[in-house]
Amino acid sequence: MNKPNIQWTKLPRRSFLKGASALGLAAAAGGGFSRHAFADGTTLRTRAYSDMRSLDPAFSQGVVDEEIQAPIYNKLIQYQPGREWGWQLDAAQSIEQADPTHINFTLKDTIGFTNGFGAMGAEDVKFSFERIIDPALESTNKPDWGPLSHVEVTGERTGTIVLKTPFQPLWNITLPYIAGNIVSKKAFESVGGKIDTTPVATSGPYLHKSWEPKQKTTLVRNPDWKGEAGAFDTIEIFPIDDEKAAEIAYEAGAIDFTRISLDSLERLKASPPADSTVVEFPSLFYVWVGMNLDNPKLENPKLRQAIQHAIDVPSIMQASYFSGAEPSTGIIAPGLVGHREQSMTGIAANLEKAQALLDESGESNVSLAIDVLNKSTNVTTAQILQANLAALGIALEIRLHEGATFWQLGENKDLELILNRFSMTPDPYYATSWFICEQAGVWNWERHCSEEFDKIHADAQAEADPEKRAAMYRRAQDIMEESGAYKFITHEATPDIFRNTIVPALRPDGLPLYRYFGKA
Amino acid sequence: MEQTLKTRGETAQIFHHLVRDPLGLVGLAIVSIILLSALFADQIVPYDPVALNIPDRLQGPSLTHLLGTDQLGRDTFSRMLMGGRVALQVALPTIAGAMSLGLLLGMIAGYGPRWLDNLILLFFDTIRSFPTVMFALAVVALVGPSLNTVILVIMATSIPTYGRVVRTLTLSLKSAEFITAEKALGATNSRILGVHILPNVLGPMAVIAAMDIPTIVGLEAGLSFLGMGVKPPTPSWGSLLNDGYSLIRNTPWPIIAGGLPLIITTLGFTFLGEALRDVVDPKLRGRGGKK
Amino acid sequence: MLAYTIKRLGLSVVITILAITLLFLIIHMIPGDPVSTMLGPKASPELRAALEEKMGLNQPLPVQIGLFFVNMLRGDLGVDVFTNRPVSQIVFGQLPYTLALIGTAIGWSAPLGIALGCVSAVRRDSFIDRLTGILSVSVIAVPAFVVSLYSLLFFAVQLKWFPAIGAGKSGDLPDQIWHLVLPAFAIGLSWVGYIARLVRASMLEILGENHIRTARAFGLPENWITFRYALRLAILPTITVIGVGMGFLLSAAVFTEIVFSRPGLGKLVIDSITTRNYPVVMGSVLFSTLIFVASTTISDLINALADPRIRNST
Repeated sequence: MNKPNIQWTKLPRRSFLKGASALGLAAAAGGGFSRHAFADGTTLRTRAYSDMRSLDPAFSQGVVDEEIQAPIYNKLIQYQPGREWGWQLDAAQSIEQADPTHINFTLKDTIGFTNGFGAMGAEDVKFSFERIIDPALESTNKPDWGPLSHVEVTGERTGTIVLKTPFQPLWNITLPYIAGNIVSKKAFESVGGKIDTTPVATSGPYLHKSWEPKQKTTLVRNPDWKGEAGAFDTIEIFPIDDEKAAEIAYEAGAIDFTRISLDSLERLKASPPADSTVVEFPSLFYVWVGMNLDNPKLENPKLRQAIQHAIDVPSIMQASYFSGAEPSTGIIAPGLVGHREQSMTGIAANLEKAQALLDESGESNVSLAIDVLNKSTNVTTAQILQANLAALGIALEIRLHEGATFWQLGENKDLELILNRFSMTPDPYYATSWFICEQAGVWNWERHCSEEFDKIHADAQAEADPEKRAAMYRRAQDIMEESGAYKFITHEATPDIFRNTIVPALRPDGLPLYRYFGKA
Repeated sequence: MEQTLKTRGETAQIFHHLVRDPLGLVGLAIVSIILLSALFADQIVPYDPVALNIPDRLQGPSLTHLLGTDQLGRDTFSRMLMGGRVALQVALPTIAGAMSLGLLLGMIAGYGPRWLDNLILLFFDTIRSFPTVMFALAVVALVGPSLNTVILVIMATSIPTYGRVVRTLTLSLKSAEFITAEKALGATNSRILGVHILPNVLGPMAVIAAMDIPTIVGLEAGLSFLGMGVKPPTPSWGSLLNDGYSLIRNTPWPIIAGGLPLIITTLGFTFLGEALRDVVDPKLRGRGGKK
Repeated sequence: MLAYTIKRLGLSVVITILAITLLFLIIHMIPGDPVSTMLGPKASPELRAALEEKMGLNQPLPVQIGLFFVNMLRGDLGVDVFTNRPVSQIVFGQLPYTLALIGTAIGWSAPLGIALGCVSAVRRDSFIDRLTGILSVSVIAVPAFVVSLYSLLFFAVQLKWFPAIGAGKSGDLPDQIWHLVLPAFAIGLSWVGYIARLVRASMLEILGENHIRTARAFGLPENWITFRYALRLAILPTITVIGVGMGFLLSAAVFTEIVFSRPGLGKLVIDSITTRNYPVVMGSVLFSTLIFVASTTISDLINALADPRIRNST
């Protein structure tokens, strides 16, 4: 980048330099610290699994962008670090659900935007939320706002979020996540309504200093932030897509925090690098083997059931996940509303039952193909599936795809088996939304279509009683499994490693919340 | 270079020269071992190279598993042996195809009219102007990963290597006295090309082919390393390296097992090619190797 | 010479145009599109259509190719599908890493190869000559990515002598050089052998030629003769070979960048092909092709300058 962030660096850069010299002074006065140790303590170097793509919340590509947006923007509420899902106030002084479709909020009066774009007001909240559902903007994150009608501004810093219908996921995945980031209306309008990779004005505890594509993103402490100050002068986020490469970088001392791969977990747990801690978190991802119900080759329900019973999940846990993950019972992970205690087809393969089902089906000389995204974990799993089905006399061809072709496969009516893995947010609504009839051929690659399932999906998002809501989602997963089109594999796991000089703040699924990271 | 067909006696002489050159002897021995172990791979593998044995996964070398096992408990040594078969399955058709097309185009270019010569040269130069790997990546992404794709791509990129040498040789032979004499006697073009020029370019072609095999085997391994070659569970040296790369902190053996045969094959064919060249045509010195 | 230069440059331009057109066709026949990669699980048909229009994917192919050339001449290679950054900026951001890698690889291997070649030629048939000969042949064709993997395994992962990944901290030159050691070693290794053989062969040829015999007859010191005359002439083919080998070097760089997770053109190409980021694929392969065509052209011209037979023939 030749001229990074030219519009806004003027003011923050000067403050940054001022901050730096003040620190230099403190270091000189303190005298006790070596300069090197001091410098290490004030920079958090961490890793993202891919490069940043957008700083506009409406076009955020998911976790990687959010990890950068979260520290530089504010939301009404934020995820609370810890082992259980929950939220805490952020830009909101107070927020309450007035009735199932109205949420009242009051903003703090201490939050301002950089670059002279003034204090954060209810108008900014209205602008930030409504622009995402504006069809003209074509935001990729529109579905996160579900039935949002509009935001009413009732005062300079007060307003009401108005929904068309009740929407439970709002508190779990909308307000505290990507679509909840508040941007400056004036700033965005001054640049035509949307931004790419240059922030026009931000408000969080950290400022976006620079982005060197494929190299790093640098955040610096926001000197004008009135809340609890960020613990680090600088946060450097390095895009390292390969987990192995990230571990090597960690062991070489180049980064202070990273997710590690499951196959290194045992080794790193047994002998962690000096002054390091390994922590294990569950993850929300869900991995499953799908079968395309519209393919005549798989139309026989007994054949599908035979396959469900032939798959040996414990072998997969051992070989693909290095015994670091647990088998799953569905698409909703433990800790979320609607998690099932047990699956119906069991976890270990039951060859006798599978053979009996196959005999009942009357099918013989079955040969099938499975489409797989080309990642080593998936390739290993696919080879186990191949061996599992071979035990029944079913030949399974493995078709590997790169990301770009794999994610397009849904359109293909001739799909047979699919090894798939979806990301997940902490609300069950997000899981069921991909398996409704309307999604058939889009993200519902099994082309599974059940009226009952669709009704549950529609009703459960508005259900306020958590018990009833949980029962509904459990039933939804039963329906999926009964169709014979799904064999659930795992939710994976998130092991992280960090240096003892830092105190990480992590979501219950092990993902980092950098704005709350501290120094030990 | 003499003008007539190589006789049986000459072939025997070449062989004789070859085994008297230490480099040639070593090369010939290595190449024979590679060919034999690939040919009889099914008979000599100690284990089924695709059979899973998850409880015995990620073992180091031992008497039961000479090079240890991979993440699925498969015997690395057996996979390495079978990988040789894949390497040759790719190398031989690729060489055959590239050589025939190179011969055809090179002779047309060298013998035909000037404009055709220029056109073919332009075609060669265009193909050569892509870095091979980038070209291969684009094509594999286009038609999907498979061994046939790999063969076709490498073949296409190798044609100019053969074609250019054939063209040069044909050009120099075209004006040779004995050919001019034949022409005066009314020999047809196809007779001149088939009877006089072809036998004379075959020797140098064999040298280039021997030198080219390591490049081809390496390229196949490279593409399989990137997951763009063979389909699992087929073992190839590249897919061993791919497995090994993702297990590099757990066990060094798959990488060693994938790389070693590549190095040995490379040495064997290069030694053989060098020795062959010294025998067949010392003038070719300096060609081959790098493209 | 002028006529030859013009002819050679013209040929290079034609080759470049043909190569780009071919590349464009290949890339646009590739199934899978950046639209789905980019929009993810939330794409609606309207969103897709809008993005396709933005990327010009809805135009007929010949129009797209034509537009590409027109824009290219204006220095506009389009923008990254995902970040909207100009492709030229992205490519120029990555280019230095690849050039540094290739440059360092040649920087250590060429002098070593030339030195070994000289010694072998001067001490012909000595032990050193034979050893160099065998070693040269041994390293010439070993694929650079196998050397990369082995050096990563032994020197970085097992022995931990050198860093395993990345290009080092930006702005920290010693760190960056430190990170270059293994990758440059991997790429350069086979060139040592290749150049040594080449230099040896050309030196032997030149040492046998008349003017050197004459110089020797006049009693000039042996070493002086060798270096003053022979070496200068022997380096010429080395330059040629590096020029022609540029494609080979770039290919080796692709693998080496992947193995060592280094930024650079190779990694850029792979990343952009797998995400179907057409403009970036086009831009980065275009630059690789330009580098290759330029280096072959330059080495041909140098050769022609030195050897009149070439410029008079074709």
